[in-house]
Amino acid sequence: MTDMTRDPLDPVTFEVLKNSFITAVDQMSEQMLRTCYSFVIYNRDFSNGLHDAQGNSVAQGNQDIAVHVGTLHFTCKDVIRVFEGEMMPGDVYAINDPYAGGTHFSDVRLVRPIFDDDKLLGFSQSNGHWSDLGGSVPGSFDVSARDMFREAVRITPVRLFREGEFCHDVAGMIAANTRDPASIIGDIHSQASATHVAEREVLRLVAKYGRDAVLQGMDEVQDYVERAVRQRISALPDGTWETVDYIDRDPGAGEGMIPIRIKMTIKGDRILYDFSGSHPTISSIYNSAEGATFSAVVAGMKTFFPDLPLNSGFYRVIDIEADEGTVVSAEWPIAVTGFLMPFEKIMNAIFEMWSKIMPERAIACAFNLEYLLAGGTDLRSPEKPMFMFYEWLPGGWGGRNGKDGSDVTTACFGTGLMSQPNEGNERVNPTRTSEFQILRDSAGPGKWRGGCGVQKTSVLLESENAVMSYICDRERAVVWGVEGGLPSMPHGLSIRHEGESEAKWLGSVFSDYPVQTGDEFARPTAGGGGFGDPLERDPEQVREDVIDDYVSIERAARDYGVVVREIDADLCEYEIDRDATDKLRAEIRAERLNWARMPPEEVAELYRKGEIDALDAVRRYAVILDWDSGELLEKTTAQFRESFETRSVAHWS
Amino acid sequence: MTKTRVAVDVGGTFTDICIMDEETGAIRIEKTASTPDDPMRAIMNGIGQADVDLSGVSMFSHGTTVATNALITRNLPRAAMVCTEGFRDVVEIRRANKEDLWDTYKDVAKPYIPRRDRLTVRERVDAEGRVLEELDEAGARRVAQVLKKRGVASIAVCFMNSYVNADNEKRMRDILKEEMPDIPVSISAEIMPEIFEHERFSTTMANAVVSPVVVDYVSRLSDKLADGGYARELLLLHTGGGVMTPHAVRDFAARLAGSGIAAGAIASRFIGNLCGFPNSIGFDMGGTSTDVSVCYQGEPRITKDWYIEYGYPIRFPSIEVLTIGAGGGSLAWKDEGGSLRNGPQSAGADPGPACYKNGNEVATNTDANVVLGRLGTSLAGGQITLDPELAEAAVRRTVAEPFDMELHEAAEAITRVANANMANAVRLLSISRGYDPRDFALCAFGGAGALHGAHVARELSIPTVIVPPNPGVTSALGCLLVDIQHDFSDSFMSAASATDPAALEAAFARIEDDARSQLDREGVAPEDMLLQRSIEMMYQGQWRSLAVDAPSKITSIEELTDAFHEAHEREYNFARRDAPVSLFRVAVKATGIVPKAELPRVEATPNEPEPGQRRQVWFDGEAHDAAIFERDQLTAGAHFTGPAIVEQVDSTIVVPPGMRAEVDSYMNILIHTKG
Repeated sequence: MTDMTRDPLDPVTFEVLKNSFITAVDQMSEQMLRTCYSFVIYNRDFSNGLHDAQGNSVAQGNQDIAVHVGTLHFTCKDVIRVFEGEMMPGDVYAINDPYAGGTHFSDVRLVRPIFDDDKLLGFSQSNGHWSDLGGSVPGSFDVSARDMFREAVRITPVRLFREGEFCHDVAGMIAANTRDPASIIGDIHSQASATHVAEREVLRLVAKYGRDAVLQGMDEVQDYVERAVRQRISALPDGTWETVDYIDRDPGAGEGMIPIRIKMTIKGDRILYDFSGSHPTISSIYNSAEGATFSAVVAGMKTFFPDLPLNSGFYRVIDIEADEGTVVSAEWPIAVTGFLMPFEKIMNAIFEMWSKIMPERAIACAFNLEYLLAGGTDLRSPEKPMFMFYEWLPGGWGGRNGKDGSDVTTACFGTGLMSQPNEGNERVNPTRTSEFQILRDSAGPGKWRGGCGVQKTSVLLESENAVMSYICDRERAVVWGVEGGLPSMPHGLSIRHEGESEAKWLGSVFSDYPVQTGDEFARPTAGGGGFGDPLERDPEQVREDVIDDYVSIERAARDYGVVVREIDADLCEYEIDRDATDKLRAEIRAERLNWARMPPEEVAELYRKGEIDALDAVRRYAVILDWDSGELLEKTTAQFRESFETRSVAHWS
Repeated sequence: MTKTRVAVDVGGTFTDICIMDEETGAIRIEKTASTPDDPMRAIMNGIGQADVDLSGVSMFSHGTTVATNALITRNLPRAAMVCTEGFRDVVEIRRANKEDLWDTYKDVAKPYIPRRDRLTVRERVDAEGRVLEELDEAGARRVAQVLKKRGVASIAVCFMNSYVNADNEKRMRDILKEEMPDIPVSISAEIMPEIFEHERFSTTMANAVVSPVVVDYVSRLSDKLADGGYARELLLLHTGGGVMTPHAVRDFAARLAGSGIAAGAIASRFIGNLCGFPNSIGFDMGGTSTDVSVCYQGEPRITKDWYIEYGYPIRFPSIEVLTIGAGGGSLAWKDEGGSLRNGPQSAGADPGPACYKNGNEVATNTDANVVLGRLGTSLAGGQITLDPELAEAAVRRTVAEPFDMELHEAAEAITRVANANMANAVRLLSISRGYDPRDFALCAFGGAGALHGAHVARELSIPTVIVPPNPGVTSALGCLLVDIQHDFSDSFMSAASATDPAALEAAFARIEDDARSQLDREGVAPEDMLLQRSIEMMYQGQWRSLAVDAPSKITSIEELTDAFHEAHEREYNFARRDAPVSLFRVAVKATGIVPKAELPRVEATPNEPEPGQRRQVWFDGEAHDAAIFERDQLTAGAHFTGPAIVEQVDSTIVVPPGMRAEVDSYMNILIHTKG
């Protein structure tokens, strides 16, 4: 907080310092991007921050990944807690502790104290997602972990550089506990050099403006952001909004989705997010500790204030309440490596609530992030190296008010994250991709449809001892539409084993699944949820989607009630049958309430007989099944239908 | 009859024609209004106005915005893409990231070729270059027939892993050519033979879509010039900093994207070198934005990470230019948190700054400069008059009152924020790349460059500012002073420890053959060919490579890895000398030297000029009685000390108090920021 007895900085010095702090952090990002070893970092899973002497966040990078916002100050404060009084210029510390406000073990932060002579001015922090942190599976995502002991190496604050001297003993021990020690040492150097870049810039500012002005500037930029946020919040009406979103299941319990409940209250210039009633922690890695939950709230809210800079000033306006021991407030040693699952639920729930307050920025649910991890021995070369491959795909974002959803976009936890080139994959890993393309009919139907998802299908080449893990969700808590829009489709991977003709549905979460040379695995990603009633979509737009093959002729009829006929596909000529369309739309309008309330067991029967598919089940009948056996998931369906009634049915005319 | 050289730079508002007398080196400039619907008209108008006899022109070079504008406005002919089955969406999936991370209503634009026009054919090559599946000829022919039926004007062929084996792509092109002999076909293995499909496909796509536009323009212009008597090849400036002939344009049309921006950077390099500063920073400030470029040891900084529209990289090597939203028309404003901001919003050319009297009431940098007396009220030789009262009112309303400042304090605050923002941009391009600004000169041009240049330089501890004779038309000069240049590259992925120098030498020799035949086709004599090798390397496991120069005969790999360690140390402040190094790509820059004319040099006679007038100019919160000079009255050797203002038709130069300025023998003004 600003010392009220000081005169404020003059406007020019303030503005110059504010921009220079951000430039310093952007220079850190530049440094990291160009020198990192972990490809996850290279593809932009990293963030950088500048902190004041108390660890509060002063500035964050412009292109940093969303999921780290609102967590860097926690880890900086934890470093201070451990090393206060014994920090020296040239020191660098490491921490990856989710129980101290970090995200998950893979995100390793390097923190450097910045001194002017012997006065501590603040800290620079560089956070990167390392490719492996040990634990039971390659990439350190074991979905069957129940506690942290089989997840990865937990790094509570340790010293990696002592007065500029590399502590190879500590670094070596950390690296030795991972599957990729050479890269880990490389990343330590890369991140340490990034924190050095910010130190150099801060000291340059001290030389120019003086130590006191720089320290005061660090305080004032936080006040500045706080003032701006408070002003925007005050301008909104007071009120309370609430919603619920779900994680698919607790693998240790029976069928039934895991609720995350949020009640948001705006009062004056403050906002309270109350998570009361959210489910207790579950027996998988899909739990989130407090720091990550806070980050999800900030990231969700920031989406509605895209122009405001992020620092601790922003965070002061937000209060969070949660019961102890829930999926959003997990504590040591509960497994939290999959925290992104609750994270994205919170983000989308916040999208939904804020969409009511700011309809001009309204948006339906985005697809759920998914990532595939595989590892084993690569037999393509005589050296038989180990391979480890970790990949995420883009999908569709929710339909918007007056605009279709964004097609094939990175998951909402970090829109700066880049997808990986196939040609790179094929060189490094024993896989060959047979398709990586937009998935027809993946978008949630709506007046403004969701964005399209993709499908990637690959074959495992010569390898042995290979295993695969898949981390995803919303196989059951299917991506939802709003304002009458429809859900998109269930997530889940299928595999066709070498020599078999039928593919097998493995679903959206599994771990350590053995795979052999020749196995083919297909990963679809969902589109975004629809926005508004699909029967109100302009048939002309449906026709355009058919021409581009985003939507099939069949689903144009089933989802939108638009009858399109092919005239000459070679010339992209298709026409709308207006009369048939009017008639079909009237039929759907008359029937759809009955469909949405049809006894679920009857729907399951239709599915098992092959008369309807999974898209029909979720979009038309709002029924959730075990997509492999067709068995009805009763409790899940009841939960899904409750949401479907309020988000979709209630808005149909 | 004396020979002349002509260079044309087409801008959004004006087309500048720079005519140089080959014998004396004398330069004259003709300015004419641009004709955006067909830029050629303005060129021919200007040539007419300037009374240029085309039959006496020995070199005609041209920086064009035709390719850039076609891509920005998407005013493109229908083009198609043929892809490996399963991969038609590579350019739509891109890398899936967004430019604006937080604004969910701001999308990345769709690809230049829509999904309906991206067709597929069965074929497959693996990562090692083995053909797993031959091109399905029947399917290929069927695709060709569909595209013919659709009447597409250009086609991109983009197959997986074609960078290691281009056979299938080439066969596909043959089939397309058989069906549609007149339609240009760009194949990815020839346009950009490098790994990573999106970047390669995207470059190929950009090339395919602009090809018909650019080729049409270039051939019309060539014909027109030939009709007028011009007997040589038209030379076109590309983003890599060289020129190319119409012949090369037919193959690599997208190299002309960004051509206009490159011209300024090239001119800045030239002027820096001329003044004895091989390290220079180009600072081109106009009405709405500022372009910053860096030239180190005589060579402009090159990047392959650039695009016209976000998401669609064009991987041709390009002069690295950082554009920021700070110009004369940038608006000053107080935001809701109470901070004094400057830009990126701009009053543009219309309504323009408040003092332009067109109704804008928000203060701009130009208004602040008027209030401070730095900018006179009569510009462009009296064609434009500015209203100082409107400028004052705007500064009062926008800044002085909200921040409780005096008028001049407020005006200075505006310029100081603008200068600091621009200094930050320079910092990102210099310091964060390992360059120390103290080793550089700042070359200030564009309409507003010299107004702010000295202050920005001081902010960065840059000791010298160079203001060329015609700061407003410097880009055209850039087009005049370039060589034919092409860039060739090939993948070369191998661990340094396992690399045989002979194999590397052979890889270089291969692309050098291509380079020589390209130059040969363009009429470059062997003695004028200059081939410069470079090699991209990285620490094994790193994800981004760094290019270092390679010798013309490879004998030792160690020599290269040493150079890499050094470059890494300079660029990133650390090196890991014990870590293994990988080679990634070999590249050759092929230059066809174009004999240069010399700029006229006059004897500098030290003299202290008398100012034509004096006026009150504000610096650091104080009014100074400043000397006002007319630029064309300053002779070589003139020197004076700030506070002073130099006015000329296309620019105004500010020399702050205590700084020393001099006119050199090329008529540049050098400002020494340390006095």
